[in-house]
Amino acid sequence: MPPKATQAAPQNAFLTLWKAYNDNTSDRLKFIDVFLFFLMLSGIVQFAYCILVSNFPYNAFLSGFGSTVGQFVLAASLRSQVNPDNKDEFKDVSPERAFADFALGSIVLHFFVYNFLG
Amino acid sequence: MFSLLPVLLLAVSAQASKLTLQSPRFVVSDSTGSQLRSEPVSLVHKSSTPVELSKTDILKLTFQVIEKESGKGVQPHQTFIRFYDEKSNEEGIQPVRVSAGGKAKFDLNMNKPPLSLPPTPTGNPLKVTLLIGSPLHDPISIELFDLILPRSQAAPEHPGEASYRPLPPIEHTFRPDHKLPPRPISLVSAVLTLAPWVVLLSLWSQVAPRPARLFSPSILPFILSLGAFEGLLFWYWVDLKLGQVLLYGAILTIPTVFAGKTALASIGSRRLGKK
Repeated sequence: MPPKATQAAPQNAFLTLWKAYNDNTSDRLKFIDVFLFFLMLSGIVQFAYCILVSNFPYNAFLSGFGSTVGQFVLAASLRSQVNPDNKDEFKDVSPERAFADFALGSIVLHFFVYNFLG
Repeated sequence: MFSLLPVLLLAVSAQASKLTLQSPRFVVSDSTGSQLRSEPVSLVHKSSTPVELSKTDILKLTFQVIEKESGKGVQPHQTFIRFYDEKSNEEGIQPVRVSAGGKAKFDLNMNKPPLSLPPTPTGNPLKVTLLIGSPLHDPISIELFDLILPRSQAAPEHPGEASYRPLPPIEHTFRPDHKLPPRPISLVSAVLTLAPWVVLLSLWSQVAPRPARLFSPSILPFILSLGAFEGLLFWYWVDLKLGQVLLYGAILTIPTVFAGKTALASIGSRRLGKK
């Protein structure tokens, strides 16, 4: 019995976590989470290419990787500010204000990324 | 009357300006005093065989400086013997004392060589020249003979000489050009880089909340102006200059701000109203 339990324990924990996440997260937050996951994947792929294959247009790598990282930070802060469970943390920031900040930050980030893209 | 005077002086000086040597002779004797070589010096061509001196020999040179026309002895202002090594370009000047009557004697004792001798490390023959200068006469320069001296130490090298030699030529090397990775790898990498978009769109199709009032008149202008900003930035990437994009962006900010205020206010009131 014990070996089976210890083998299944980490799997069980992961499945429980996944189930809890799926059930308790609203669709809006999942929407942002998918975006965050996409940004992470994109950043990892670009970084792996830079290390494994070539860093030839170095400025292009920097702007691409920087765009994923910057956008991740903005989206993560939007998610934490929009989450109703965090309402007590962000008393003077309404979700609309958070979205406006997110939009402004994204536009500025995109401007710098396009500048460097070349 | 006065104008004749310089012409007369010129005539006088033109007449008496040539110098010559009378009975120039050199003698080489060894340390015991016996003569090894003794010959007159020709004023027209130098001696054919070089004079060779060993470490104990003595060279004696005697002559008298006279004016060519009158034969009178002259004490010139400058009388030098020049020792010159053609190959190493070293030279030494030795002044010679001339008496009032023009008689001169020069001794070169190899036991006590004068300081003015140039170094002879390789035993090259030195060209010996007699130089006589005087303001009242034309100067004369007479090649006497070639002189071979015993080997000496080389001239000391100047401590700073090494820094004045020509440096090696500068060869610029440039970083080699970047190589593009081979095509299949580039294609695979491009597909991998765009793959997350597929993941994003597929997951979003499952999770997306239905945007209820996306196209209502209070929210649509904000969406459109945000899209316009993105389009402006893309246009900047392909075509625009910095000043233009900043100007257009500043212009576009004004409707965006107003549209944003109305859109977000309506969403906020909806949220609070529902609550």
